[in-house]
Amino acid sequence: MTLSKIFAVIKHEYKKIVLKWSFLIGTFLVPLLGLVFTFIPMLLFLIKGETLRLVIVDPTEKIKPRLEKALSEKSTNSKKKELEPKLNTLETQKELPEEASNTDVVFVDYSIAEKSAEQIRRELNAMITDGKIDAYLIVPEDPLDPSASYEFYSRKAEDFIVNSRLKGALERAIRAERLSKTKISEEELEFLNSEVKLSVKKLDKQGSEEESGQGFWIGFVIAILIYMILSVYGQTILSAVVEEKETRIAEILFSSAKPFELMIGKLIGVGLAGLTQLGIWLISASVILIFSLPYLALVGFKLISPSVLILFFVYFTLGFFTYASIFALIGSMVTSVQEGGQFSFLPVMIMLASFYLCFLVLRDPSSEISFWISIAPFSAPMAMPVVLALEKPPIWQITLSIFVNVLAVVGIVWLASRVYRVGMLMYGKRATIPEVWRWIKES
Amino acid sequence: MNENSKATVKVENVTKKFGDFVAVSDLSFEIKPGRVFGFLGPNGAGKTTTIRMIVGILLPDEGKIEVLGSDSPVKVQNKIGYLPEERGLYKKMKIEDQLRYFAALKGINGSEADRRIDYWLEKMGLLQWKKKKTTDLSKGMAQKIQFISAVLHDPELLILDEPFSGLDPINVEFLIEVVSELKQQNKTIIFSTHLMETAERLCDDILLINKSRKVISGTLREVKSSFSKNLVALRIVGGDGILSDKELVAEVKDHADEKEVVLANGVDAQVLLKKLIESGARILKFECVEPSLRDVFIEKIGGEN
Repeated sequence: MTLSKIFAVIKHEYKKIVLKWSFLIGTFLVPLLGLVFTFIPMLLFLIKGETLRLVIVDPTEKIKPRLEKALSEKSTNSKKKELEPKLNTLETQKELPEEASNTDVVFVDYSIAEKSAEQIRRELNAMITDGKIDAYLIVPEDPLDPSASYEFYSRKAEDFIVNSRLKGALERAIRAERLSKTKISEEELEFLNSEVKLSVKKLDKQGSEEESGQGFWIGFVIAILIYMILSVYGQTILSAVVEEKETRIAEILFSSAKPFELMIGKLIGVGLAGLTQLGIWLISASVILIFSLPYLALVGFKLISPSVLILFFVYFTLGFFTYASIFALIGSMVTSVQEGGQFSFLPVMIMLASFYLCFLVLRDPSSEISFWISIAPFSAPMAMPVVLALEKPPIWQITLSIFVNVLAVVGIVWLASRVYRVGMLMYGKRATIPEVWRWIKES
Repeated sequence: MNENSKATVKVENVTKKFGDFVAVSDLSFEIKPGRVFGFLGPNGAGKTTTIRMIVGILLPDEGKIEVLGSDSPVKVQNKIGYLPEERGLYKKMKIEDQLRYFAALKGINGSEADRRIDYWLEKMGLLQWKKKKTTDLSKGMAQKIQFISAVLHDPELLILDEPFSGLDPINVEFLIEVVSELKQQNKTIIFSTHLMETAERLCDDILLINKSRKVISGTLREVKSSFSKNLVALRIVGGDGILSDKELVAEVKDHADEKEVVLANGVDAQVLLKKLIESGARILKFECVEPSLRDVFIEKIGGEN
């Protein structure tokens, strides 16, 4: 084995990927787009909607005052809440439609004295058509009857934010009205309606407690990142191998270096490009985190330790060699990229299954099934980083997992190189599985 | 040092099978340094398999191959230049980058590689295409780039498998000239082709194989003299009686303004000439024709296939 030749291949493959526009775009634009797609909907919900001019038709006069109170109360409440820092995105998103709407509601007076239901509806419809009001709500004769139907007519019935806000306010108003039938004071009513604050603490094996939630998200993001990079660079390997076979460059290359040198050089070169991308992402994420550290420390956010970070890279590397070798093997078997696409179904499915197994780990990282998922080849490269983000597994578990996966990588690379050396020179037809099996046994 | 050890390539009783298919069987030959070695044979004869074994891409099942003094061709790959019959370039990569990569794989790096790339591109008249991609090149230009990739590292042994296929006559002449220059620099060249006329012009030695086995080998002259038929090109007026004498003449082929006469077994051309003169025929042209490589090829292979 000549190191200088492997190095030449590594340099070639690395430059081929990194010095391309698609790499720059992928590295810098994708995370940017991710941020944009996360934050734009949040921002949109915060934009102040148009004022809603509302007529409440309440023959009983019981619901109207409570509803007006509930509707106006809501908007002041939500403004106050926005100022509080929120880290848990899940919580923020759930509340958005109801809380973040700043649409002002103006109550327009309308006298219903002596008018028939038919006439009221006709007049109000006319007011909407003339643009004098935007919506009206008709409270039924018996507002507290559970089967009673409230009718809301609106010029913009699609505005789900307003609709859900109205529904919430209406429910509160009716509940308050129902409770007022019992002997409950208004203060007690406030007290009953107050929200519950649930603070989840996590106990680790040593018994020390910490704020839960953040580990889940770090684990989730890590799993997605590794899955994404593995599948993108797996496909890169596949098409690079097929190109060399399709254009017959393989024969020139094979006359210059050993097939194993060429394959391992290709894997390392493409893998380094993937690591570069992962590195850029993790470093820029760290920079952002460090700048927001004082704020994050306030809400109890902890950075992952450097040793865990190193282990992330170790598992990424193991995962890359596991899957990329399979993609290289497939590339050397087939005759075109399309054919390769059909065959890559297999590694893609294994990868996807491993990714879904990560959710089992996310739910309970210390369960027995999580243990096996974090040891087994194919799934460990994605699952173990998740375990590491969530808790501290014992050293022997990490050692065993790395050992098993290094063995698996050696085996798969060996297998792939045997197929590669024969497959790359087979032109014209796709290799059959028995043929591939014979190459593995013979060569 | 005996004569044998000096051979650039020594193939000894080599057999290569793919499953049940025998691609090369019990093949032996030697290539002397500084010679142009013509490796001829019909499609599927086993040429490419033999060449792949010489380059170290394939290993023989039986027998021994020695290249440039090493019994393992892989160890001397940096001294071998190989232009395969099935060849290509990276589609979306700049010409200079591709050549730099091929040079690096042969152990030539940095400014030395750049200097040689410029030298060869200029020689081929392709210097202005240096920064272009393969997709911008014509087929002939791409062929020349592939040729450069085979000679860039100044190999001692150059193997050209059908180097002229797909080239126009002007470029064929040009490449023949380049190959001749390399020969003058005492490079050993293996030249595999179907084009007998080109082989005849370039080769010192010939090896003809068919159906995995050696048919004939030797210097160009030896091979030609093994041709069993004596040919005479003739332009005459009269003498028809002599030409139809089956004891003298085996066959007469009429061409545009002359006849090609195949003499009967063991008949000397001088005897025919004497008889023609005696018959009073007027002889405008009488030439003992040396068989072409093409004739040898067809005689040795045509019957078998």
